[in-house]
Amino acid sequence: MKILVCVKQVSVPGTYPAADKPPPGFRINSYDEYALEEALLLKERIEKTTVHAVSAGPERVTAVIKRAMEMGADQGMHIRYEQEEQLTPYQVATLIASYARDRQYDIILTGVMADDDMQMQTGQMIAGILGYPYASSVVSHEIREGRTMYVERECDARQRQCLEIEMPCVLTIQSGINRPRYPSLSNILRAKQQKIESINALDLPEARETEVRLFSPGIKPKGTILQGTRREKAVQLLEILHEKALL
Amino acid sequence: MRNKIAVIAQHADNRIDPVTYEAVSCALELCAGETSCIQIIVPGDRVEKVAQEISGETGIDTIALENELLKIYNAEAYTSALVTFFRQRAPGYILIPHTSVGYDFAPLLAIKLEASCITAVKQVNGSDGTTAFVHEVFDGRLYAEVVSKTKTTVITIQPGAWEPLGRQPGKSGIVETRNVTVNPGKTRTIAFRQSDYQGAALANSEVIVSAGRGIGKKENLSLIYEVAKLFPRSALGCSRAVCDAGWLEYSHQVGITGSTVSPKLYFAIGISGAVQHITGIKGAQVIVAVNSDPAARFFTIADYCIVEDLTQFIPTLVEEFKKKYGSFSK
Repeated sequence: MKILVCVKQVSVPGTYPAADKPPPGFRINSYDEYALEEALLLKERIEKTTVHAVSAGPERVTAVIKRAMEMGADQGMHIRYEQEEQLTPYQVATLIASYARDRQYDIILTGVMADDDMQMQTGQMIAGILGYPYASSVVSHEIREGRTMYVERECDARQRQCLEIEMPCVLTIQSGINRPRYPSLSNILRAKQQKIESINALDLPEARETEVRLFSPGIKPKGTILQGTRREKAVQLLEILHEKALL
Repeated sequence: MRNKIAVIAQHADNRIDPVTYEAVSCALELCAGETSCIQIIVPGDRVEKVAQEISGETGIDTIALENELLKIYNAEAYTSALVTFFRQRAPGYILIPHTSVGYDFAPLLAIKLEASCITAVKQVNGSDGTTAFVHEVFDGRLYAEVVSKTKTTVITIQPGAWEPLGRQPGKSGIVETRNVTVNPGKTRTIAFRQSDYQGAALANSEVIVSAGRGIGKKENLSLIYEVAKLFPRSALGCSRAVCDAGWLEYSHQVGITGSTVSPKLYFAIGISGAVQHITGIKGAQVIVAVNSDPAARFFTIADYCIVEDLTQFIPTLVEEFKKKYGSFSK
């Protein structure tokens, strides 16, 4: 079994100050850690399974590929393009799909969304470009007879969509499905030795949409901000709850 | 001539999800109230009645797009039907509610139609003839404004961002039923079922005391229980992040994918306020928020905001409660 996990490098959440300043740091997209963990769990269950981690972007994204290898991915692939501005989900999906097309992956995994743009598109788009079936927001899955998977998607109002899906397929993994592991010392040492395979991104398609502005919505409290010392606030709150017959 | 707009209705078991009417409101904003530009599409099997109901409510032309393979939602089948339908002439905008169905198939539809795709849109800004779509990034700390560069744009509409269009008396739209060919694809939906984690206790509770990732560590849940004990009938809720961290079971999760709640009091502690959580508590009558971060987005929807560290504030609150009432009420 060959599994490809797509990992994205995102700005460190909460510290991205303003649109005109470079972000102070980067990390692996948290949702992709769940996807990687699912791949590693499959590798532990199924013999002869290899897990590849891929990311597209400038040199700096090799840090998250390395991280994926430290967590346990067998190989890392870097689709290189030297351009700092963010690619759109469609552009990334195109790059990853053209990388994956002839490499016979049985399952391609992504996180359900990215911490930064929160668009929930890339996985479905990779599938669409490759003509593979997919399931998004996956919360459980198992490989069944032959080349099919049984998958459950998380849906609104505590519903689950249960489906059968042919392999090769793309699954976008919802958070909470597992507890992503920390890198082990042996994997850290192995990753240190190992080279990341690098290919140049060819034919980057034109973006179909552009981000024209990034702005802070501002925090305008709607209600009353209780004032005073901690104790005064506690007293006020109890009075309010009492008046409203909630206590 | 104005851009045509298609709205894809969200429905299941002959029930129309109200987010459909929110998407219609967005469509009306995009075409400056000109209903003739809008067409509502109801993909499904024998959905003419659903189409009639939507058209009756909105006064907008509605198409029942039918095939037995559309009886139960499946991304490939849905997309195949819509691609066939739109092949002649795709509209300028295709609006889809940002639900677990909508965000599942919207990106595929965009790929098939060579359209741009902008998801979880909560606002439309227009100036100088360009239309920009706003969605949240970085957990809502920032908003991004995005402009489409393609003839057709697929947009998913964040639930709760627009008021649902109310009944439009005196207006009527044409209802048309069309059979459409559908490629069955390589996925088969077996069923929709309820998750094993049920939230009945939350749904019926008058008071919900709810914890977010901001409580810092699992051990601090004991403080949340202390608050819950102040109320005679309360249930324990939490944000998704608390469940993902394994601190509480998913049966406690409040939000769109968890429980949608409408208690008399929602007491939120350490909850940052992700949009999917906030949308799930829209029906709450009184919202109290305790958070040490004055910039927590949850404060924008709370009626009473307390900027304090919970590990200090909650013991004080419990102490004052005892002074006032003598003992615990529960």
